[in-house]
Amino acid sequence: MDLSKVPNEKKLYLCRWYFRVGFALLPFVWTVNAIWFFNEAFRKPEYEEQKNIKKYVIMSAIGSSIWFVLLATWITTFQLNRASWGEFADHISFIIPVGTP
Amino acid sequence: MAKIFHFQALVVLFYLFTFGYGQRTKDKMYEKIHGANGCYRRLNATHQIGGGSTGVVHYCETQGDLNYILKNGTAPPYIPVISTKLFTAETVEQIKGNGKVSGLIVYLEDKEKLDSFTHENQCPNPLTSVKDTCAKSSVWNPHGTGLLYADIPFPIFYVENQVEIVKIKDCFTKFNNFSYDSQDDRSLCSLELKSFMYATTNTPTCRRRSDLVTNLNPVKFCDPLGDSNVWATLFPLVRGKGNETVPIRDFKYIVIAARLDTTSMFEKTEGANNPITGLVTLLMTAKLLKDMTRQDESGEKNVLFMLFNGETYDYIGSQRMLYDMQQGDFPVKGLKNDNNILPVIRPDDISLFVELSQLGNSQGGNLYVHYYKNSAEITRFYEKLVQNQGAATLRNISQSLPPASVHSFLRNNSDFPGLIIADHEKSYTNPFYNSIYDNASNIAFIYYNATENNVSIPIGSIQQFVVNVSEMVAKSVYQELRNVTYTGTLDLQESASLADELLHCYLEDLNCKVHMATQKSRFPKAPDNFYVGVEHVSKFVTTLTALTLGWFTGDIEGKGDIDCTNVPKNYAFHYYNMSKSITDMNVTLCYKITMNTTEAVSPAFVIPGYDWSSGQYSTWTESTWAELGIRIFLKPSAAHEKMTIAIGSMTMIFFFRFRVLCKIEVSYTVYAAVTHRSTHRLLT
Repeated sequence: MDLSKVPNEKKLYLCRWYFRVGFALLPFVWTVNAIWFFNEAFRKPEYEEQKNIKKYVIMSAIGSSIWFVLLATWITTFQLNRASWGEFADHISFIIPVGTP
Repeated sequence: MAKIFHFQALVVLFYLFTFGYGQRTKDKMYEKIHGANGCYRRLNATHQIGGGSTGVVHYCETQGDLNYILKNGTAPPYIPVISTKLFTAETVEQIKGNGKVSGLIVYLEDKEKLDSFTHENQCPNPLTSVKDTCAKSSVWNPHGTGLLYADIPFPIFYVENQVEIVKIKDCFTKFNNFSYDSQDDRSLCSLELKSFMYATTNTPTCRRRSDLVTNLNPVKFCDPLGDSNVWATLFPLVRGKGNETVPIRDFKYIVIAARLDTTSMFEKTEGANNPITGLVTLLMTAKLLKDMTRQDESGEKNVLFMLFNGETYDYIGSQRMLYDMQQGDFPVKGLKNDNNILPVIRPDDISLFVELSQLGNSQGGNLYVHYYKNSAEITRFYEKLVQNQGAATLRNISQSLPPASVHSFLRNNSDFPGLIIADHEKSYTNPFYNSIYDNASNIAFIYYNATENNVSIPIGSIQQFVVNVSEMVAKSVYQELRNVTYTGTLDLQESASLADELLHCYLEDLNCKVHMATQKSRFPKAPDNFYVGVEHVSKFVTTLTALTLGWFTGDIEGKGDIDCTNVPKNYAFHYYNMSKSITDMNVTLCYKITMNTTEAVSPAFVIPGYDWSSGQYSTWTESTWAELGIRIFLKPSAAHEKMTIAIGSMTMIFFFRFRVLCKIEVSYTVYAAVTHRSTHRLLT
């Protein structure tokens, strides 16, 4: 969708809904929201809905970064400890690599 | 005219395409090395043992060659090609610590140049043997390197085919074996070893991972080692005629046992002294005993012949046999105590257990009878053995227990009446125990083909020795059964011919007379393998041995014909059409046999929720793998490799840019077309 052809209230509507949907454990929707509406929020001449759009873009960005940090921490911890956690690690795995401890 | 020309052109094109020399690039680059035997990764409850990779060939004739490359090699990783003489624990340790080596190829050296070659432990089966039966000061296998149980981080292959070794050596001489300082700057002859093993860590881990329900990509990581045990009895287990038989429940059993497996560092096994001498002696004993008692009715005692499988890996077969007996699942699983088909045999029904161990490397005809605790039964039987010893010299060694199946029974009951007959006193006389050198020449076996060539087998040969031992055991057991000495005569020359044939069967040719007599089909000429293998693959040798044991202990029911096997018969027997003897191959008789096989998989894999750390039963598994093999190829120099990747990357980047440019161009064109059309529509 080309945002330049969308009316301003529709932009706000979209941005708000992307932000809300992100709460359903969908951090990538927040990431998309933050990138997609970044120009609208910060680089376009001021218009009425821009303030709200800016708010949602910032919050989406914060939300997705928190998710990113959490995921990165968990993945690192898990990958480093998978072998030593033994049975527990096997039970929370969906795919077990062959030939590695 | 034009049509004919077109047709001709087509024909020419067709020939061009079909007669062209088409070969895949991969096949041009690599050449397979045939006759390569890898080694598997095996795991038990606590450890993994054994271990693809590529590396530059370095052919070593002496230890110096190997040391040179470990110190001065400029183009690691290397794959040294060494002889079996250099393949020692020290060498492997040295290579492990060096870091320049990514694999190892081993080729066969003449046996005469080796003093010993055995990679078993010095105390075989340390975890499942009776405690304190292998003293540090005098171990059973003094030359043992224990490499079989070492976790080696790189693949090792044994290449049997000398032609392939010459191929590798020629490639090494042509490309690698000069100016070592500049090896890095030129193309080098290299090898790729493929032996990627799926399982890691230990048996509990790989079993758990194979059974995970949550796994999205279910993979079997390892399989329990196992095969089948074979058993047969001298007298039927039932009394009565035809199908109206009742089981005989009050038999006491004299067990004559031997093992049915060996192992080696690599896929290939030989197993001449261990287990073939013991196995053949057991078969001959069965044959002689049957000949002695063919006309007799059974008394209070019966003889149970047992061949255990997987004994090399913590006594898998005997542990399972004992477990089955304790559960009341022997001879057949799931029969009630008071069934009317077969008696249920329990460990307490065994009155004597005679095990035939290695017998092929006797020095001066000396034989040793080992037992754990003295008892009346053992002393009595030993005296009988001495009476019947013939050309052999017997000695009894009390409170001594070499590795044997009887350990499983003694661990359960330390008063178990078991004794072992072996060619060794304090340590093995076989310096090639469980290795590829334990072959026919190790036991000085020469095939005489006595039945055809009409020659007598010389005194002092392994054939005569085997006959001697089996005659001794058979006569002693006869005395145990009947309480009188055997007064009949045995045709010992015929027995020697049969022993000659049996040893030939196991050591040289599966398509021998005995196997042709028991089952009338031929095998492809493949060497028999005595490695126990994984549970769902059964060995040829086990089936053939079961048939041979059945043939020797069976009763003749009449003429052999289709009715023998097809007419409904008694469940207590097996019926087979087999030849009358190895000299009367064309006369087929119907044999009624009390013989069967039972599962030889460790109870650890049968008991639900078995505690892996208890150490009670064998826990050996073998890792699964996708491919085992070796390829040889010419590896370009490092500079060449870097150049190739640089050109490749540049080409890729260039075409990405090109595509992006094209795309932008195209999208502009399309956009222009669309806008043009919409303006057009607006206007109209």
